[in-house]
Amino acid sequence: MTDQAQGAAALSAVIADAASEIALALRGEGDPYALSRILRQEDALAPAAVRVLGADALAPYALDGHPGADGAGNADAAMVREALTAFPPTGDTSAVSAWSYHGLVEASRAFLPAHTTRWPSPPEPGDDWLDTEPWPRLSHRVSQLASLALPGLALDLTDRLAGRTEDLARGFVRAVRRRDWHQSAGLGRWLARLPQTPPTLGLDSGLRFVRQMSDDPRVAIHVTAAQRFFGRGR
Amino acid sequence: MTTARQAAPQRRPTAGAGGDADAELLDTLVREALGWAERNRERFRLPPDASTTADPNLTLKPLGELAELSALIAACHPLPALRAQAERLFSHAWEETREGDLFTELIRGEPQAAYPVELYGVFARAGLRNTAVDALVRTTTALRGWRVAREDHTRTLSVLNAETRIGLPPHADFDAVLAHTGLGRLPEPWLLECRTAYGLTHDVFHLTDWGRDRTRLPPASAEYLRLWLPAWVDSWLDERVWDLVGELLAVTACLPDAPFDPVAWQRLAGARTADGALPEQGDPPPPGTGATDVFFACYHSTLVLAFAGTLARGAHPCANAATNVSASANPTANANPESEATG
Repeated sequence: MTDQAQGAAALSAVIADAASEIALALRGEGDPYALSRILRQEDALAPAAVRVLGADALAPYALDGHPGADGAGNADAAMVREALTAFPPTGDTSAVSAWSYHGLVEASRAFLPAHTTRWPSPPEPGDDWLDTEPWPRLSHRVSQLASLALPGLALDLTDRLAGRTEDLARGFVRAVRRRDWHQSAGLGRWLARLPQTPPTLGLDSGLRFVRQMSDDPRVAIHVTAAQRFFGRGR
Repeated sequence: MTTARQAAPQRRPTAGAGGDADAELLDTLVREALGWAERNRERFRLPPDASTTADPNLTLKPLGELAELSALIAACHPLPALRAQAERLFSHAWEETREGDLFTELIRGEPQAAYPVELYGVFARAGLRNTAVDALVRTTTALRGWRVAREDHTRTLSVLNAETRIGLPPHADFDAVLAHTGLGRLPEPWLLECRTAYGLTHDVFHLTDWGRDRTRLPPASAEYLRLWLPAWVDSWLDERVWDLVGELLAVTACLPDAPFDPVAWQRLAGARTADGALPEQGDPPPPGTGATDVFFACYHSTLVLAFAGTLARGAHPCANAATNVSASANPTANANPESEATG
């Protein structure tokens, strides 16, 4: 295995471990959640993992009745700030990555309000593609932004996506048929949030189905988020 | 000739029933598919043992499909030249049945079997009758044994449609049977696989009498199909299952506003062999493939392509679906294909 492949595998493992903890916390199980408890600050891979997880790194704080970051607030905010500093959007950043960066900033402001002074203010990510992409590519991209489907976050984006609900629902069908469980779960999470998802899609059973077809902890995050935040797939 | 061909040149969409169907592309596909079928007419010919020892999947099934789809095209295509082409094929199929005498042999051999009745129904719908067969099916289909439920509800719809075409009393309630099928149950669209997808397309074909009466599609079913057909077409285009894509496009053409998917049609056009045949899936048969193997790899999807291209054309003269097309389908009664232009 090359060094690069080893590095990628190690990062995937760190992300998977963190995602398992996040999914557990979203189900209301395990120890009280803190980002700084599921990722070691001194782990060199932690900033990259936070950047990949995006807003989901803070998702458990969005649960009703969650006490918030509490004593871990400073440490959590420091980890997020490190990730944002290490991987800022550049001219070459894809639209998806720019949106995900934006989502992490937005989540920090929403869930770590006492700790976000001097927070970066990234430019608004490009959004033309939301209207122009054909549904298969739109669905693929939107599934990669599933971490933004959190209560109170990305409200404008949600409004825009509502106009393409049918297209995203077709994307869900396509993704399940391709057995792409990660994409399926990401789209299912958005569809759980959108108000006009067609009933014949069978979203609730679809979410349960996808969850049980895969052991991927990031699939578990998406399905659990759909259940806990938007009441679908229970 | 089995090398892949270039897709027909992309044309500006022209107005059709769906509003934006590319009529020129569709007509090219239908014309070339029918031309291929005409050049392969001998391969649809029945062997002497067709009603005894021959494998019906290699003899009667191709002939039945030729008859069903060429009858539809002969009745419904807006262009007289293509209707005439299809009529020649349909007449050939009737001649192969020895003007129906074949069905007497088949039914005497297997009085409980559905397929001779289904196949005879295709010709009966077009007014091509055989009095001995008419008398025989009246007896066999009146037996209690004929009404024993079949394993496959979609197939039962086919039998019910055949009974209607022949003028026999239906052995079961069409809507009650339909309720058990994919089109009746409207399964989760992400659960469809090849077999259930074919079931669903045939539910639509039997319900609408192969696209002749599209108003029979209930609004809820039409809405379900409108929503999910694009995802299925994309999915099976990805898998390069051209035959199923063709059927799904035929179903698409049965929807109220008949949406036209130019990308899918271009993909089918590009998947054909150099002489206009569409392989069931994947690449065209490689050079050196025997003619018989090429035929069986392509005949069904090529007929489906012609059928779907006819339905997608929209402005069809068979809009009055209940009308029998006997006069137009009987070559002796219709020497001039122009004469039944809007029959």
